[in-house]
Amino acid sequence: MQFNKVTENIIKQLEAILGKANVVVDEEKMEMYSRDETSDKLWEKMPEVVIKPENAQQIAEVVKLANRELIPITPRGGGSGLAAGAVPLHGGMVLSLEKMNKILEIDKENLFMVLEPGVTTGDVQKEAKELNLFYAGDPCSAESSFIGGNVATNAGGNKAIKYGVTGRHVYGLEVVMPDGEIVVYGGKNVKDVTFYDMVHLMVGSEGTLGIITKIWLKLMPLPQYVADLLVPFPDMQSAIKVVPKIMTAGIIPTAVEFMDSLSIKAAELYLNKKLPFSDAGAYIICEVDGNTELQIQEDYETIGKLCKENGALEVFVADNISTQDRIWKSRKAYAEALRMLSPVYCMEDIVVPIANIPAALDAIEKIAAKFDCKIPSAGHAGDGNIHATILREDRDEHAWHDLKDVVLAEIYDAVYALDGNLSGEHGIGAKRISAMYKHMTEGQKKVLRTVKEAFDPNNIMNPGKVVLLGTIAES
Amino acid sequence: MKIIVLVKQVPGTDSVKLDPVTGVMVRTGKDTIINPLDENALAEAIRIKNTYPDVKITAVSMGPISAMKAIKEAIAMGADDGVLVSGREFAGSDTIATAKVIAAAIKKTGDFDMILCGERATDGETGQTAAMIAHYLGVPAQTYVSALEVLEDGVIVKRTVESGFERVQVTFPVLVSVNKDISDTGFPTLDGKLKAKKVDVPMLGNAELGFDKSELGLTGSPTRVVKIFSPKLSRDTIMVKANATMQPIDELLSFLVQKDVL
Amino acid sequence: MSMYVNCSIAEAKNLSEFKGVFILGEQRDGKIQAVTFELLTWGRGIADDLGCELACVLLGDEIENLDEVILRGADKVFFIQDPIFKNFLTQPYSNAITRLVNEEKPEVIIAGATTTGRTVMPLVAAKTNTGLTADCTELTIDPDTKLLLQTRPAIGGNIMATIKTPDTRPQMATVRPRSAKQSPVDTSRTGQIIVKNYAGATTMTVEKFLEFIIDTTQAVSIEEADVIIAGGKGMKNAAGFKLVEELADLMGAAVGATRDAVELGWSTYPHQIGLSGKTVSPKLIIAMGIAGKIQFLAGMQTSDVIVAINKDPEAQIFKVADFGIVGDVFEVVPMLIETVKKMKAKA
Repeated sequence: MQFNKVTENIIKQLEAILGKANVVVDEEKMEMYSRDETSDKLWEKMPEVVIKPENAQQIAEVVKLANRELIPITPRGGGSGLAAGAVPLHGGMVLSLEKMNKILEIDKENLFMVLEPGVTTGDVQKEAKELNLFYAGDPCSAESSFIGGNVATNAGGNKAIKYGVTGRHVYGLEVVMPDGEIVVYGGKNVKDVTFYDMVHLMVGSEGTLGIITKIWLKLMPLPQYVADLLVPFPDMQSAIKVVPKIMTAGIIPTAVEFMDSLSIKAAELYLNKKLPFSDAGAYIICEVDGNTELQIQEDYETIGKLCKENGALEVFVADNISTQDRIWKSRKAYAEALRMLSPVYCMEDIVVPIANIPAALDAIEKIAAKFDCKIPSAGHAGDGNIHATILREDRDEHAWHDLKDVVLAEIYDAVYALDGNLSGEHGIGAKRISAMYKHMTEGQKKVLRTVKEAFDPNNIMNPGKVVLLGTIAES
Repeated sequence: MKIIVLVKQVPGTDSVKLDPVTGVMVRTGKDTIINPLDENALAEAIRIKNTYPDVKITAVSMGPISAMKAIKEAIAMGADDGVLVSGREFAGSDTIATAKVIAAAIKKTGDFDMILCGERATDGETGQTAAMIAHYLGVPAQTYVSALEVLEDGVIVKRTVESGFERVQVTFPVLVSVNKDISDTGFPTLDGKLKAKKVDVPMLGNAELGFDKSELGLTGSPTRVVKIFSPKLSRDTIMVKANATMQPIDELLSFLVQKDVL
Repeated sequence: MSMYVNCSIAEAKNLSEFKGVFILGEQRDGKIQAVTFELLTWGRGIADDLGCELACVLLGDEIENLDEVILRGADKVFFIQDPIFKNFLTQPYSNAITRLVNEEKPEVIIAGATTTGRTVMPLVAAKTNTGLTADCTELTIDPDTKLLLQTRPAIGGNIMATIKTPDTRPQMATVRPRSAKQSPVDTSRTGQIIVKNYAGATTMTVEKFLEFIIDTTQAVSIEEADVIIAGGKGMKNAAGFKLVEELADLMGAAVGATRDAVELGWSTYPHQIGLSGKTVSPKLIIAMGIAGKIQFLAGMQTSDVIVAINKDPEAQIFKVADFGIVGDVFEVVPMLIETVKKMKAKA
């Protein structure tokens, strides 16, 4: 794929569309737009220009310009991605949605929030809660990630087993299509089959099919009571084996999370605070919610007893925000805390059917032993989503890349053999594209290509992510 | 050895509303927690109990009936029992009036060796009730304590003060208010929760404590809130909008040079 | 109940008996602490409004330069002298002050909201059965009633409350250290030093002072710094907060943090500014990514020059700022860092 460079003339045209202040070419200021949280030099690339549009019309004009001039556009939200999806690997422009950060409407009668993509997910949760309403999307990065990015990657998070991933809460989207047309799909109708389900084609498309400029988000009544259990186990296998038992106990927990011993140690180091049973082999964190205190009490007692019968060292209960916050801090610190062990690492996002988690973790442990490296894991046990993370530690650049490639290949092979997939919620971006293609059928590849070509024949929308028009080598 | 831990129930978020007319704090919602520093105090009591198994921990709280939740939580975390001090007459008490009532309630529970509590609560943030309670009980108060060593007949406390630490030895009985360095907070256990559910926590009202009404609530409080207001803050602010050029930075620096602070 | 209560406040005291303003000075190792001179500023203003004398109370064994207290504004010094007072112990201190209060009957007592002031004042208030207001940021005299109006941040610091003590005396308050400038020396001033010797029951205690240990890690004391670079939640994460540290390092400044930033683990408690942290009054403070809850502002608004950088033009912090830049901290601060680097290279 041949793209053109951003010339002075193009900058002038961008400035005419967006205003001078919204067009950034200063290298230093563009630096933070050259990477996301993947934290690997391999996935960094300086944009030629960063633009900060303020509305959909401006974006439409920019997209038309990019099509005329064959300049790639990489849309960007909060930059908290873990698959290099927002990194401009083919150069061109990064289109940051940070200035489109307004909540446009909270419709209390229909239970919808209509908002721009640049609102942080944490603010969405807070605004809803103020009105005794609930937005159920809850990625660990909620404080920094944008709702637009959550939609574009179909983010999962901590409450997915009960409430589903982001896509389940999205009922309408306004999208600037790759030809510059502004199109609205869906809206506030809860049932809607008047069209192809374009909303859910756009959800998770990672900016390769258009740019999301407005979102209709479904809200729910706020569950009035929440309780969390922190359950240390002597070893990983006994912890994980209790998960299917919890899931079939007649209760739908909001979350069932796990952390392995390395992750617990890292969290302790990062939080600078003694965690209970920090020598344990694993933690299970389990959340239940509901509308009566009695009901959640029964639920957590049932789950707690189940854990005790299956080898738990202790069962801690948190039913107020201060103890709950303390429990979740250790789990949510995972990504940051691992940097205490190794500033560079490769965080994976594999997903397997929950009954296969013990086998998957067993396989990962064997791979770590085989290659003499550390691969801590934590994640969402309730939906089979394992964030196994290969640590670079003090390996040199060369050794690290060699190691990572072989380890990843073995992990993915093991995961596919267990009916799993290579990404549950972080997305494909650029980081996992070759691995995904390796495991795709020819039929699947053809569908992907056909869709992409139909929407974006010039391949200007986030090229090199999710779908390949050329070959992997070209990208 | 008997330790009393004072646990205040406080709102769990910063977003406590104030009644604009009466100026009274509106505590709604179920988001209540044990005052965080009281949890540190409780954790320290539990740490002591783990070393000296004959220790008995009693959690004492004063507040509305819903503050029972804080006592049950303390029991679930490891306290042996609790007492709730509650009554309509106590509402509106300032620190002096509150301290008198809590001190009287503690007396009712019998002899004690040590009272532990947080150095201040996150809602009122006055941090003066603890010392006042010590006065009404006639025991010394050790404040801002970040470490504690139990001796045969007393304790050695490490007080975190301006620019350093003071070590003070004091004999029992004593009141100790702590900061957050004293002990890492723990969690209630499932067994603790099940126990707390069953435990019968006695309540003490003014019928039991027998104060003259004039000593309680607003009438018993020497201090009066005159007015509540949103602060007016004003300086002559020079406002500049960042515009991706160096100009605002240059303006700032020349301002600082002119003010002679650079 | 008389067992615990000296007298009911309903028992009317003869309020007019109470005259004069006390401030409670502090010493360590016989050296008068700076908070004493700040309290003289507060006390002088109130005494002048009431048209009465200002006395400074100091407890100690040997104290250097007692005269300085007079030169800085006190009309009288009550020096309560005994070896037991060399270090702070709650029982002898509170007993001695209470005895002096009962003898002298001051109308107002003000102490610093220091660990000492916040410990001894509640004891004295309880012993004399009067009211006490903690952590005041403003003290004024009501021109009509001549009552002391004590203003403090309330409820997480989002609002201010003015409190009075109408029916009991003395009226007592603690004020945040550094919330006033030190009172200047005026060599023409004269006054009286009265030494009190309270041996006996007053000095008896079950407390034993063992030692004072200087904390060297508090050497970074933000309270002493001339320049503070402070960061809040707007720095987004621990990595973002590093910008605060980088600029501070470059400018030889101390690092300050909001309660949020400390709770999120980006900084540590000794750096916390605000009601639940330290009060600072540096020559320059640059607040970055800080919205400016009253709680925070209460801890820094007396700084000489306040600069704020925040993307929200409506942020409260701008209301106390002398210079505000509306913009993204991640754009503005790196530029500022670059510029300061260049300036340093030139110099």
